[in-house]
Amino acid sequence: MTVTSQEPGPPRRTAPPRRSRPSPIALGIAGLIVALHVVAWNATGFSPAALVAGWEGIADFFDEALPPDLSWADVVKPSIDAAVVTLGIGLLGTTFSVPFALVLALLAARATTRGSITYQAARSVLSFLRAVPDVVFALVFVTAVGLGPFAGVLALVFHNTGVMGKLWAEAMEESDLGTRDALRVAGATRTQQAVHAVLPTTLPQLVGLLLYRFDVNVRSSLVLGLVGAGGIGFLINQSIKLFRFDEMVTHLLVVLALVIVVDQLSALIRRRLGA
Amino acid sequence: MPALRISNLSKSFGENRVLDGVDLNVEPGEFVAVLGANGCGKSTALRCVVGLEQPDSGEVDVDGRPAMVFQRIHLVHRRTALDNVCAGALGRLPLSRSITPRLFPRELREEAMWCLERVGLADHAGERAVRLSGGQQQRVAIARALCQRTNVLLADEPVSALDPSAAVNISELLGRLAEEGLAVVAVLHQPQLATRCAHRVVGLSGGRVAVDRSAAAVSQAEVDALYVPGGVAV
Repeated sequence: MTVTSQEPGPPRRTAPPRRSRPSPIALGIAGLIVALHVVAWNATGFSPAALVAGWEGIADFFDEALPPDLSWADVVKPSIDAAVVTLGIGLLGTTFSVPFALVLALLAARATTRGSITYQAARSVLSFLRAVPDVVFALVFVTAVGLGPFAGVLALVFHNTGVMGKLWAEAMEESDLGTRDALRVAGATRTQQAVHAVLPTTLPQLVGLLLYRFDVNVRSSLVLGLVGAGGIGFLINQSIKLFRFDEMVTHLLVVLALVIVVDQLSALIRRRLGA
Repeated sequence: MPALRISNLSKSFGENRVLDGVDLNVEPGEFVAVLGANGCGKSTALRCVVGLEQPDSGEVDVDGRPAMVFQRIHLVHRRTALDNVCAGALGRLPLSRSITPRLFPRELREEAMWCLERVGLADHAGERAVRLSGGQQQRVAIARALCQRTNVLLADEPVSALDPSAAVNISELLGRLAEEGLAVVAVLHQPQLATRCAHRVVGLSGGRVAVDRSAAAVSQAEVDALYVPGGVAV
């Protein structure tokens, strides 16, 4: 008796298509990206060797900075007070930019705006506000209202309007437009469509982006302090100028606590809102 | 006089001619089920009627403003069923009374409750739409269309996303609304539901009306031919 053995394995099927090779365009783009990095390396004087050679300087810095100065009256309490001011700059800079960002976002989203002229104009305003760094806005407003946190708030309002307006407009454009169409069929005006369809369906994303920007703005307000907008950034700048690195480390620890608190608070609100 | 009259409706997307001279009249109190394979122009025809698409040629005459419900329902999930229904009336509300649901007039909220009663969901008026089942959400969408005070209700695959039981319930609801005097046109993918609940069956094939018979008279062969690629009415 002859036994015919069968090869194990799956039955024969149509062969899967071969993956296509990268196109010359894709290879060209990859080459361009590499070339840009080489140029950037040279332009910035990027040198790991210099970092290694200068390790003694870093060691001296840590020697002077540690342990941090934890004297309550002279360092810690002023640091906490200044952190509250920094938090206030970030909070008001975010909140006061909401109405401007909302109006511009509605005008800059194709889901909610009618004419292309309005759309392009709103996009241009947002691009301008986004392109000017908040530090530059702060320097401009310092000349108008003097040194202090108010200049920082104004700077953040302007810059954040540009960034948040753009992010919100993108979120609205990516939203499901079916609800808007349902109301459009019912005869709702553009404003009613925005208020009763686009905004409520994108609300979780908008709130999520708002909290993200609050997080970023609190950290930005630190930097604004370096150019005279007050807050804990101002104290860090003073400590560096006076070579009081132990004070500076204390301020940085307060900043770390502030950032963690803001981050956790944002995450909590996002979870509650389902954003 | 028909509540909806479509004459020689044509629409192309690029080289693709989706509608090629569609004619359809629907009387008040009539429930017309539209059948046909994917891409035969059913949804496009409805979207042309409500103005979501502009036809290339042809005429559409509607008694009043048509209302429409969709396969994906499209409610605002965060809002209550009642607020979603009230949104159907936005077309006749000034902005000052409609910038937020809190400003909706009391009379509108009462009318919206009546619309929810008509679809059998009055006891869910205060629930957020997201907490309702698919069938209940589609009922809310139908109530929203009723709150528009429409004479013509168009439904684009209203039961495609629902389980069989909910699909039957929604189809029967559309039938009852037609008995109350509405002209109802529903795109369906379930021939059995169409012949069971509708008064008339219209079959589209290749952008043209291939079948137009009373639901009782349409044959299985005619329905089957609609789903054969390149098929025509037998």
